[in-house]
Amino acid sequence: MLRRGGDIGERRSAVVQPLALDETRLIARIVGRDLRAFEQLYRIYHPRLSRFLINILRRPHLVEEALNDTLMVVWRRPEAFNGTSKVSTWIFAIAYRTALKARSRHDEPVEDPQAGFRASPDATPEQDLGRRQLQEILATAMGQLSPEHRAVVDLTYFHEAGYREIAEILDCPVGTVKTRMHHARRHLKGMVADQIGPDWW
Amino acid sequence: MGDGVIHIRNDEHQALRELLPWFVTGQLDAVEQASLDVHVAGCAECQAEVRFQRRLEAEVARLPVDVEEGWSRMRLRLEADQPALEAARPARASARSAWLGWGIAATMALAAGAVALSSMRLPGAPAAGYHALGAAPVSEAGNVVVIFRPDTTEAQMRASLRAVGAQLVGGPTAADAYVLRVAPAGRTQALTTLRARSDIVLAQPVDSGAAP
Repeated sequence: MLRRGGDIGERRSAVVQPLALDETRLIARIVGRDLRAFEQLYRIYHPRLSRFLINILRRPHLVEEALNDTLMVVWRRPEAFNGTSKVSTWIFAIAYRTALKARSRHDEPVEDPQAGFRASPDATPEQDLGRRQLQEILATAMGQLSPEHRAVVDLTYFHEAGYREIAEILDCPVGTVKTRMHHARRHLKGMVADQIGPDWW
Repeated sequence: MGDGVIHIRNDEHQALRELLPWFVTGQLDAVEQASLDVHVAGCAECQAEVRFQRRLEAEVARLPVDVEEGWSRMRLRLEADQPALEAARPARASARSAWLGWGIAATMALAAGAVALSSMRLPGAPAAGYHALGAAPVSEAGNVVVIFRPDTTEAQMRASLRAVGAQLVGGPTAADAYVLRVAPAGRTQALTTLRARSDIVLAQPVDSGAAP
């Protein structure tokens, strides 16, 4: 279930996520060309999609375009939402496809493998050296994963999507989701264990 | 035969182990959850894996995402359509440090979502709808951004808001700014009043309205 929203980098923010039914109603109003309903949906999904897209694209300058492209699809073809999935699943699937297209169009190497993720600015060396080090290692390790693997990790741990929903979003078999998660987890665990120690958790 | 049982148990272990990420986040169905509850209780390896994944989940979810560059581009796009927005910024604001500028850019982009939308092409949207988004008096979108002095008390903030009949729409942002909504017709006067108050560092308009 995609239920985690909020500002960038803030898990479980104070922003109250509307019920899925409310989002469905927004889509129905958008079908009726209700611009105010679209504005509401835009505000709900902007932070969630920003996080998701930066995770896949790793290029901050592409995020805005991909995000607006995603929501333009919602505005132009709201009737394509057929109600068989949640609104969030549908929108994230659009965002995923949009991000992959954007990546193929801008196939330049990523200059900074940590682009998109940074160690938390709140954790100063005095406060939490260990956490900063861990986050830097994880940010680097995430950057070494493929976009498909990063998408699975982010959808699982940040957006709290189930594996069936992730399969729907990524349009792949559930077995693929499990395999990607297995490899990603092994990679992240190996990177942290190499640099901090085998028992960091 | 005993060997076969071991294989079956190992297969089951592997299959359940693959579900541990979603066991940790509580995203399995009831049957899967129950199976894992039983299995994990008797499997030391999976217990260790659950501990690892819980830590991993917490750390991955805590990784902040840096979208300042994206926001700044959004801001540039807004300014391309709304040159008056930047021109309206008072001189004292331009002298502030870069981080404050980024924060304001993010805040403005957030508060002026209506402007963001109006800068997008909306094929099929009725013309009235285009205009209504930014101008509707019942809109909850913010139209003023303020930054209070760091030592401002809650009572002082409340007094400032009441002085201009403002409602708090959002904030604090990363730059400790707050988004307010004031009556559009009285915004110019509200900005003048807010800027004159000693507890306010900065007060800015944030939609497509005219310069104060």
